[in-house]
Amino acid sequence: MNRLLPTLAITVLTGGLLLSNPISAQFVPSAKKAAHVRILKGPELESATENLTIIRWTSDNPGGSPEHFGVVHYGTDPKNLSQTAKSHIRLNPTHSYTVFRVRMDNLKPRTRYYYTVDSMEPNGRSDGVTSPIKTFTTP
Amino acid sequence: MNRRKLIALSAVFVTAVAALLISSQTVLVSARNGGARGQNGDREEPPPPFYNPYPTGILPADLNSEIARVLREVDNIEFEALAQLRALPSPTLTNQPPILAHTGQRLNVLLGKVMNFDKNISPFKDRACGFCHMPYVGFSGPIPSVNLTMVAYPGSFQFRAGKRTAQRYTYSPSFPVLNYNETQAAFFGGNFWDSRATGYKLGSPDEEQAQGPPVDTQEHMLPDTACIAFRLQTAVYKPFFIEVWGDAIDTIKFPHNTEEICGTPGGASVFGTNTMPIKLSSADRSIANDVYDHWAQSIDQYETSPDVSAFSSKFDAFLHDPATNPLTADEMAGYNLFRGKANCNSCHLDGRSTAPTPATGTAPNGEDTGAAADTRPVFTCFGSANLGLPLNPRDAIYYQDKPDFFGFTANPFGFGFRDLGLGAFLRSGPGSWASPNDTWTQFAPTSDGQMQTSSARNVALVPPQCPTTEAPGPYFQKEFFHNGYIKSLKQLVHFYNTRDVFAFQFNVTSGHCPTGTTEKVDCWPMPEVPNNIDMTIGKLGLSDTEENQIVAFLQTLSDGFTRPYPDINTFTGMCTTCNPATDPNCSSSRQGNNFLIPTPSPLPPCASVICGVAPLPGPKPIP
Ligand code: HEC
Ligand code: HEC
Repeated sequence: MNRLLPTLAITVLTGGLLLSNPISAQFVPSAKKAAHVRILKGPELESATENLTIIRWTSDNPGGSPEHFGVVHYGTDPKNLSQTAKSHIRLNPTHSYTVFRVRMDNLKPRTRYYYTVDSMEPNGRSDGVTSPIKTFTTP
Repeated sequence: MNRRKLIALSAVFVTAVAALLISSQTVLVSARNGGARGQNGDREEPPPPFYNPYPTGILPADLNSEIARVLREVDNIEFEALAQLRALPSPTLTNQPPILAHTGQRLNVLLGKVMNFDKNISPFKDRACGFCHMPYVGFSGPIPSVNLTMVAYPGSFQFRAGKRTAQRYTYSPSFPVLNYNETQAAFFGGNFWDSRATGYKLGSPDEEQAQGPPVDTQEHMLPDTACIAFRLQTAVYKPFFIEVWGDAIDTIKFPHNTEEICGTPGGASVFGTNTMPIKLSSADRSIANDVYDHWAQSIDQYETSPDVSAFSSKFDAFLHDPATNPLTADEMAGYNLFRGKANCNSCHLDGRSTAPTPATGTAPNGEDTGAAADTRPVFTCFGSANLGLPLNPRDAIYYQDKPDFFGFTANPFGFGFRDLGLGAFLRSGPGSWASPNDTWTQFAPTSDGQMQTSSARNVALVPPQCPTTEAPGPYFQKEFFHNGYIKSLKQLVHFYNTRDVFAFQFNVTSGHCPTGTTEKVDCWPMPEVPNNIDMTIGKLGLSDTEENQIVAFLQTLSDGFTRPYPDINTFTGMCTTCNPATDPNCSSSRQGNNFLIPTPSPLPPCASVICGVAPLPGPKPIP
């Protein structure tokens, strides 16, 4: 609360001057991309059921388009992660970190899978995340 | 449609009309029903029999009295609006280009208001825009029992009804013209849950939105847009319309059968595929089209005005002067969660800190790091997302699979209907409008299931006598999200928080949660549209208290704090109360659960005209 007050006061002072058009302020333009995106937590299995597996990790905020995708490259052979699953998220430009969660709903039961993760812009441009190879077995 | 076809169609139509016209007061009926009509000269005929394809319990028991109640309220507001119009000093027409100086803007706003609450703009003169959008609920659906059961509101010919919740329309004029952003590969703007009112023609989605309901077969149901000009010709407020828009409206010569045509609901089989059954000269048709544009423009001005989009909430007061108007501790905690841990403002932009700040920090902290941006945030990004809501088997649309008295069937697919939202619009699919841009069609598969991100403002707005949306109350029963599946704000936040925690391990549809679980509490049914599910939300890790704090914050977004909200006092119905001692569902978490019904099992597959149309939904087909 204390931290917030001065910033809010500035809002009131500058808001009217900076923004003649409040609508343009509502849309979030693409931001500068982070130079290097590190994983801060995970990747790990958030849930694994017969019907759905979710992989989750937290990284630095990659910046770029607020429309973003988490990507999991996976396969049953750790040397051949040829399959891909991706899920949409919206980046929060005010957050220093971003939680990515990816749904995988095409997996075979009782099978060991290997995977790495990355994130990307909607045009397919990778955020260049370096991820260890992880593994899990479906129920 | 080429000219030849049109002429052929209208020829068929004229014959049909000639054969069936009975009196100037009657409606046109299809050939099949025609024989049953009496020949009673110019006396008014009894209204056609109600359309009731619904199994027992789908229509709420108090529907008729509630419809009558809302119609009375609509009349009261119409009466008040007329008085406001008459009391307004006349503007002065001056300047080049001509301007209605001094009071012209207010005149246009009030003109929009009287049109918004005018029941005559429907075949049976019983539906105004306001019937489904009342001020005391932020211009959303005013009937608690409808919100609890059939979701969609009955239109002019009872009981045809639509398929989605009557969207709250405060701030809808803020949405820009629908556009596809190449860099972000996403759509922004438009009006309606599926963004189908694009604004491509009038430059304003909200204006084009207002041109939808009058001719929607499930709402006002007029069969021809020219019926608006026809009804306005005899409206008591016509002089005000002329003052703003000129007197061309009076020059339109309507054929003698116009009242019969406009008294017959759209979709009636007598009309075939003819969308312009009123035969007008091309000059008159142009004027009628202009009148239809002006109708939309004035209504948009009303919706834009502080009478509707007021920016008068507690949160606005707080933004303006936080020292004088502090939020309570819970509200403040909710606000910080909204833009921190719960991440709501990634989609419901709170106008703060939109200056992007790629992170250098090491730990998730959710702190506000950017510069403040917007003093009037509308709490949406104007984009769309598929939140993964379950199919709601109570929705009236599933039951309208038989023809009505007029030979019209709203949903021939029954439970084979699926609501693909933006994806259906991009394919010009059933239940939506034609897309005005073929280059967008390719994006349908990545848009399936997406609905427009609502402004979070006024989601909690209720009439003063029922001060909350949450049980045990006394509360006003609202419905939330496009299909009304969610019945309280607590449930709404709990859904965002736990969709992926309590879902999927069961893989059930609504009404089939396993014994020992409670739907909406620790069991979320599978999504109606499994494609493109947004993963920003679904497992937020909020505690019960934190959920409640977000609800408290949402309640600060209701207009009427800094000054009274116009027409907030027009509700004349009853609040809901319940007794937690005797009713296990008497809590905000379980409110409405008494009304859950089982989804048909097995659920019929998605109809091929919805899910089998190129570009096909993918990567997996929709079940
Ligand atoms: C029978 C009930 C009904 C009537 C009558 C009705 N509406 Fe609606 N309104 C709805 C429903 C349902 C939706 C959402 C429809 C959808 O998305 O497909 C809606 C959506 C809207 C929206 C979109 C809000 C947004 O943010 O995109 C606006 C604006 C609106 N209505 C204004 C009007 C006006 C103006 C009229 C009269 C010309 C009117 N409505 C008549 C039920 C109704
Ligand atoms: C990924 C984007 C996204 C995020 C994140 C998000 N929302 Fe929403 N919100 C939407 C969409 C899309 C809708 C309309 C969905 C529908 O009806 O199917 C919506 C609707 C709403 C509504 C209006 C419901 C109504 O019936 O009018 C409220 C209130 C709301 N969200 C609150 C929240 C809160 C609180 C959070 C954080 C816990 C949140 N939202 C997070 C996209 C989002």
